[in-house]
Formats: sequence, structure tokens, C-alpha cells
Amino acid sequence: MKKIASGFTAVLFLFSAISMAQEEPVKTKEPGHTNQNKFRQMYQEFATPNGYRTASGAPGPDYYQQQADYKIDVELDDHNARLFGQETITYHNNAPEDLEFLWLQLDQNVRAKTSKSPLRDSQEVPMAYKTDTFAKEYLDQPFDGGFHIEYVNDAKGQPLPYTINRTMMRVDIPEPLKSGEQISLSIKWWYNIPDHTIDRARSGYEYFPKDGNRAYVIAQFFPRMAVYSDVEGWQNHQFWGDGEFALPFGNYDVSITVPADHILDGTGRLLNRKEVFTPEMMRRYEQAKTSYDHPVLIVTQAEAEAAEKGFSEKKKTWKFRAEKVRDYAFASSRKFIWDMQAVKLGGKDVMAVSLYPKEGNPLWEELSTKTVVNTLKSYSSHTFDYPYHKAISVHAKNQGMEYPMICWNYGRPNEDGTVSEKVKFGMISVITHEVGHNFFPMIVNSDERQWGWMDEGINTFMQYMAEQEFGEKYPDIIAPYSHYPSKRGVPSDIVPYMSGDQSNMAPIMSNPENVYQLGPNAYGKPATALNILRETVMGRELFDYAFKTYARRWEFKHPTPEDFFRTMEDASAVDLDWFWRSWFYTTDYVDIGVKDVKKYYVSDKPTAKMKEYMAAHNVSESDLVPLVYLADEDSNEPDEDLKGEKPSERSQTLNAYMMDHMSPAERAAAKDPRFFYEITFDKPGGIPMPLLVEYTYADGTKEDVTYPPEIWRRNDEEVKRIIATQKELTGIMVDPKAETADIDVSNNSWPKKPQKSDFEQFKEHLKGK
Amino acid sequence: MTRLKKILILLLFPLMAFTAIHKFYISVTQIAYSEEDQALQITSRIFIDDLDRLLKERYGLDARLATQQELDTANAFIEKYLHSKFRVKINGNETPFHYLGKRYDKDIAVCYFEITDLPLDSIHSIEIQNDLLTDLFEEQKNIVHILIQDEKKSFVLVRENDKAMLNL
Repeated sequence: MKKIASGFTAVLFLFSAISMAQEEPVKTKEPGHTNQNKFRQMYQEFATPNGYRTASGAPGPDYYQQQADYKIDVELDDHNARLFGQETITYHNNAPEDLEFLWLQLDQNVRAKTSKSPLRDSQEVPMAYKTDTFAKEYLDQPFDGGFHIEYVNDAKGQPLPYTINRTMMRVDIPEPLKSGEQISLSIKWWYNIPDHTIDRARSGYEYFPKDGNRAYVIAQFFPRMAVYSDVEGWQNHQFWGDGEFALPFGNYDVSITVPADHILDGTGRLLNRKEVFTPEMMRRYEQAKTSYDHPVLIVTQAEAEAAEKGFSEKKKTWKFRAEKVRDYAFASSRKFIWDMQAVKLGGKDVMAVSLYPKEGNPLWEELSTKTVVNTLKSYSSHTFDYPYHKAISVHAKNQGMEYPMICWNYGRPNEDGTVSEKVKFGMISVITHEVGHNFFPMIVNSDERQWGWMDEGINTFMQYMAEQEFGEKYPDIIAPYSHYPSKRGVPSDIVPYMSGDQSNMAPIMSNPENVYQLGPNAYGKPATALNILRETVMGRELFDYAFKTYARRWEFKHPTPEDFFRTMEDASAVDLDWFWRSWFYTTDYVDIGVKDVKKYYVSDKPTAKMKEYMAAHNVSESDLVPLVYLADEDSNEPDEDLKGEKPSERSQTLNAYMMDHMSPAERAAAKDPRFFYEITFDKPGGIPMPLLVEYTYADGTKEDVTYPPEIWRRNDEEVKRIIATQKELTGIMVDPKAETADIDVSNNSWPKKPQKSDFEQFKEHLKGK
Repeated sequence: MTRLKKILILLLFPLMAFTAIHKFYISVTQIAYSEEDQALQITSRIFIDDLDRLLKERYGLDARLATQQELDTANAFIEKYLHSKFRVKINGNETPFHYLGKRYDKDIAVCYFEITDLPLDSIHSIEIQNDLLTDLFEEQKNIVHILIQDEKKSFVLVRENDKAMLNL
């Protein structure tokens, strides 16, 4: 037995040596190389784990994060569209080191006259200008945006020196802020609120000329502490406009003074509801608290339309307290209709809220709060129960922007109230997306300024799941579609991007300011990658547990990409370095095909190659241990009349082996493969993926085999597999269900199917009409 | 004159800042030769809302594409527009194409048009001029993929550079 085995090994070894010598004639010796294997671990890309962040991807024993508490008083001047504010920030230094100075963010300065953002892009003289664009560009005085800082004082009211570098402000403190200590500073400021419909600013107002009102959606309205962390030190990368925000958690006490006839909602608990609500509103609010199946109107459309005409000169102050939030935002207008519905999440009640002017109806009263409810339920089921007490969706033209507990969303019907499918699904999608942002990055608080994909990509992936669940829950709303028509997430939808021009593409792991196409880069591709990871690479069970682990580990903390990558492996035992490397760190694409199929039969007679080998080594058949051969169908070696017979009938040596080593019962139960195939799969694309193959047999049966991605670990271009079967193989298809975003499916089938082009299919469809 | 003015008004829109969801001005056209049909088959993928807006602004047509109320005349205007903004020259000669129709794929309108009776060996060069939507959006980019036999070439066309050329 041992002899046979070693004899076999020797023969095979020599055989491979010969074939190599034949393939590679004398040539100069190749130089060596570093480890380029796509399955090598990511030691070079990843930072060395430490006490702050562990190798498993969890916060370490030394993990810390800073805290910034705010007491803010603002007043909205509706006549001049101006906001005046005063705040006291209490900043806690939880870092083990002392801080010599503090950095604050002055985001409004991106719209200051001195802003560099408009100067950073290349320009060309166009063929013609639209008149108002020309006027805005060359005739009008630029918008006078940006913060006007009146003072920065210490706790005793003494001025602190500060330096403003565009959107960042350094406050020089007299003594370093010691580790474990806190400091208070007070700032007074004002700024002109921009019209957000003009340049799609992330906050501002929309003016409604028909009734003379403005609807305000206010954010980035106060000087905010920058993040100081173990990873970036001070995150004081300028706000150019694309890279969003990095913010520490804290508690907020905010008083907002607005015209007395405004309706207002914002981040946090409303503390003086009885002062700002009418008794009727209070009654409706109490009703909403237990209304789990439909929204209750707190302010009706008729009331909002009446309020539009008021223009009260009186003021009202709305007082809020928000705990464990990273930011603050609010919306205020006379025009707002207001509805609320309670949602049960993990034994707790959360209020789903919508604020919209009549211009949003009838669409908004039907779908906004419904979408908020679905989003909270879906996201909670995949991560953790939504920890805040409310989530508000505010209607704002052209907007899609997120803040803690509140977000701005587009979706405006035509003036006659009709709604295109595009607007309807666009609105459901944007509300799902922006409410979803509460989870990423408002709670799982990644650094948006550096890694746009960590909140946008993960959130777009979650949005896809929530939209699909919305479709399952409300088939009537999405009819005639059978599934919700998600724009991002389905593998085939990312193919046009990933097969596109490489010079116009950046890896996902890029700063959002420097990519070419932010949509696919930070949203579509990472969302699709995660969807593929869940459905095809890991499977739902392993993925969902690991993903939940990530969300829970980093709930109310600051994760980095590595924390995500490491956790997904840590909680699943699936080695994913190859996946992160190729999908997130390169612009590679998936293209896997079936290249060649050879058919073989079992034979007793040495094959031509074996004969060649024997001749070269002067070995005769009698010198060999008993061998079984597979004869190539095309070589004319097998006798025609023996095709498809049992292997034991074809090979005396095999028959003898079976007689010697197997009982009659075992022989009867033995597998009986009569057809042998050697199949070559090739991989023109750079990304190694699981090799998904559907084999079809002569009797019409199909068999799915998934070879692990590691099949590509030794040869990144081509692999071969042997299929031994009782039935003749009639077809092979790679990635039959289009799960991998394969950019070229013309090489996915054997025998090559004459591909019916999309064009031909359309022509046939026309004929069918 | 009024028409020219109207068109000019539509020419330029301010660069839009990215918000959480960004709008891209882009179309993708694939031009492929079908040996079976002896035809050059062209597929243009255009955002429905862009096309809707184009029909409204350029032709005053409230087409309501992809809705139950879509106008029956929308196709005729789309055809008219394609003929004015998309040109094909075979061997240097402008060659008319036939518009077959369109279908919708989520938020995209896929338009189909072809040039028939075109034996492969009669084609020596193909020149495409693609100005789709550049009258509406300053930053419109039109991506063109040409695929003939084994020749494959991709172009990103903009208003100032609207031609793609493939020699066989």
C-alpha cells in the first residue's frame, strides 16, 4: 500500500517536472519579488493594534474619547435671515495627554467671501452663460456668509486669543488643558443664513414668494469642537464642502428664539412643551404618544395655511435638552404641518415625526412618517435599538442631509399635487437614507471628513435592506414593482461604474474631497460590496452577527475603517483581507469566466503523455506500479465502444484494487463516475471572488458548486477543476445569479451562448407588442 | 430668436455642492455592431428626470415620462431630440439612424436606435458626435463605448469635446 502511494507520488512528481521543462525553454532567471499574493494579510495597510484599539477591532482598555457639552442660546431674525448666538462649551479632556490649544470648526466660513472652496477647481470659458449665472458670477456682490465671531471668553469672561484659519479656529488657552480636566469657554457670534436652494448648502432657508415666508433648516450654526482622538490627533482638515463632519459626543442645552407663530422642532427633548404648544396641540400630542399605527397631526394643513399669513412680531423660545449627541440642528417656519406616530422599539417608545409645508402634500402626509417608522424598525433590527426618543423628517427642497434625530429630505409634488414615480421613490429613499444616518454616523460616530464611505457606504447598504423591507411590507405602495426599486445595492447596478474609465476612479479608501465620482465611490460601491459580502461571501447568518457586533462595539464611539474590517473577521472566522484589499483599497473589478472544457474517460492504457514520459526515462509499463489513466476525448485514445462505461469495467487495475480493498457491499455502493472533465476557469478581473458555478447535466439536472475565493490564492489568473460524474455535462455557467458584479458575462458560459444583446431583446419585445 | 434665447437660458447651471445624495449629469451610450443584423446598434441610457426636464425646457412638453400620464407624443420628441444632438458618420459621411423606442430601467430611460444595411467590410471609420443634454447641463458628460468586432474604445464626451472617432 505504501509502495503504491509512493510510486504514485514519484510518477506525478516527475511528470510535472517534465511538463514544466517543456513549457519553459531556457531563459534568463527572473528576479525575485515581494509578497504580492492577494490573500496575504494586511499588515502593511493596517496600523499596529494598541491599547486604544485592539486587533479584534474593538475599543481597547485605553480607549478614550473627548466630550463637548454645549449651552447654546440662539435667536432667529426672520426679517434679515440672520442668526445670532451665544454658547458656553465645556470641553472634557479624556485623553491621557495634555492639550496645548483647542480647535473649533467654523463650517459657515465655507460660504465666506474669502472662502477658498470656489477657487480650488479648474475653470473653462463656456460656450455661453445663463444670464442669472453670469450675473451671480460676475456682477453680483458675493453672498456675505461666514461666522462673525464677537468674542471668545474664558469661564471668567476674560478674552481668549484665537486664530481663524478658514473653517477652523484655534483657541489658545493660557495653560495646557490637563488630561482628565475640563475647560469652559464662551463664544458669541452671528451669521447671515444662506438660501439653501441656490447652491444646495447643507442648511439655510427656502423662500416661498407666494406667501412671503421662509422655511428654515438650520445646522452648522454654531462653532463646534473638532474631534481629538488617538488616530488623528486634532481632526482639523478644512471643510471644503464635500467631506462632511467629525464631531465629539456631548450633552446640549439649547434655547431657540423664533417668531411666536413659528412651528419648530430640533435635536433633543422639548423641555417647555406647555409654553410653546396650544392646549389643542398638547391634546393631539398626547394622542400621538399611543398612536402606533398611523400619524396624528399636531398642526394641520389648514392651521399651517392660516399661520402663513400671520407674520407675528412676538417671539417664543423653544428649549431643548439632548444627551449623547454629536451635533445639533433644528427646523423652523410658519409653514410647517406637523405629524407624529409612536413606534415600539425594544420595549421603548420612539416618536416618528414629520415637518412639511403644504407644498409637500399630499405626498408627505402619506409617506414621510411611514418611511421614518420603517427605517427605525429595519435599522434597529440590524444593529441596536434606536437609542434616541424621536426621529424627525423635514421637507426641504433638493435637500438630503442628516443630523442627530433630525434630517432634511427632498420630494416635492408638482403644483397640482401629482407625483411622478421618480419623486415618490426618490423621497422614500432619501428619507430612509437620512433617517438611517442616525445610526451611521450619528451614533456609530465615524470620521466623515476623512472616510466618506464609512457612514455613506454602510448607510446606503442599510438603506438597501430597509427599502427592500419597505417593499415587502407595503406591496401596494411600490406596485407595479415586485421589489422596491433600490438605486444602489444590487450587484449588477455597480457594473457600469466598475467597468468604466480607470482614470476617473479612486479606491473606496480615499478622502471624499479627492475622488472623481463621489456617488459610486462613497455610496454605491461600498454598499454593493457589503451586500455581496452578506449574500455571497459570508452568508447572512455570519455577516449579520458580525455587522451587529461592529455596530454595538462602536455605538456612541469613534470607529476607524480598520475597526470595521477587523470586527467583521473577528466575529465570523472568515478571512476577509483579500476582500477588503481588492474592493476597498483598489479599483479592481470582478470578471471571472469559463475558458475551456476537456472531456476524459478512464482507461487502462497509458496515455500519450505517459508514453512520452516512459520513453524519456526508459521505463516500460511493467516497471510501473498499477496506474489508472484518464484519456483525453480529443486524443482518439479511448476506444469508441468503451465510452461511458463504468470505470471498473474500463480499468483492470482499478477493478483489481476494488476487489482487494472493498467488500462486495462497498463495491456495490461505490460511486460510478463515467465522465471526467477538466474545466479551466479564468479570471481577467483583478478581484478574487468565490467561484460560483452551475453545472447542467444531460438529464437536465443542475448542480451548484461554490469554490471558495482561496481557489485563486496560487494562480490569480486561471484555475482548473476536475468534475467526475455519472451524467454527461452539457453546460457550465459562472455566477448564474449575477451575484458578484461580474463586469463581462460574455465569458461566463460553456458552451458559449450566443449572447442576445440588450438591443436584440428590445427588438423582440417590440415585435411582441 | 425666442427659441434661441430659451435654449441659452437653459445652458448653464451653477455647480452643485454635494449633499448626502448627489446628482450626476451623465449618459452612457453603447454602440455595437451586430453581424447577424448587419447593423450598428446604439443604446443610450439617460436619466428619466433629465430627459423629462429637457422635453419641458426645450419643447415646452410636459411629458411626464415613466408615469401613467406619459404623453403619447413623448417618443416623437425624443426621436427629434436624438436626431438633433446625436450624429453618426460612417467613413466620413453622415448616416441617418432609425429610432426604435425606449424602455425604462429604474430611473433611467434606455433609448434604442440603429443604422441598418451596413456590411461590416464597408465600415472603415465611425465618428460619433454626442451632444445629448449638453444644452441643459453645463457639466453633462456623455460616455460612449464603441464595440466593433474586437475593437473596443471608450470616450468621455463633454460639450467642448463632443466627438469620438474609431478607425477600423
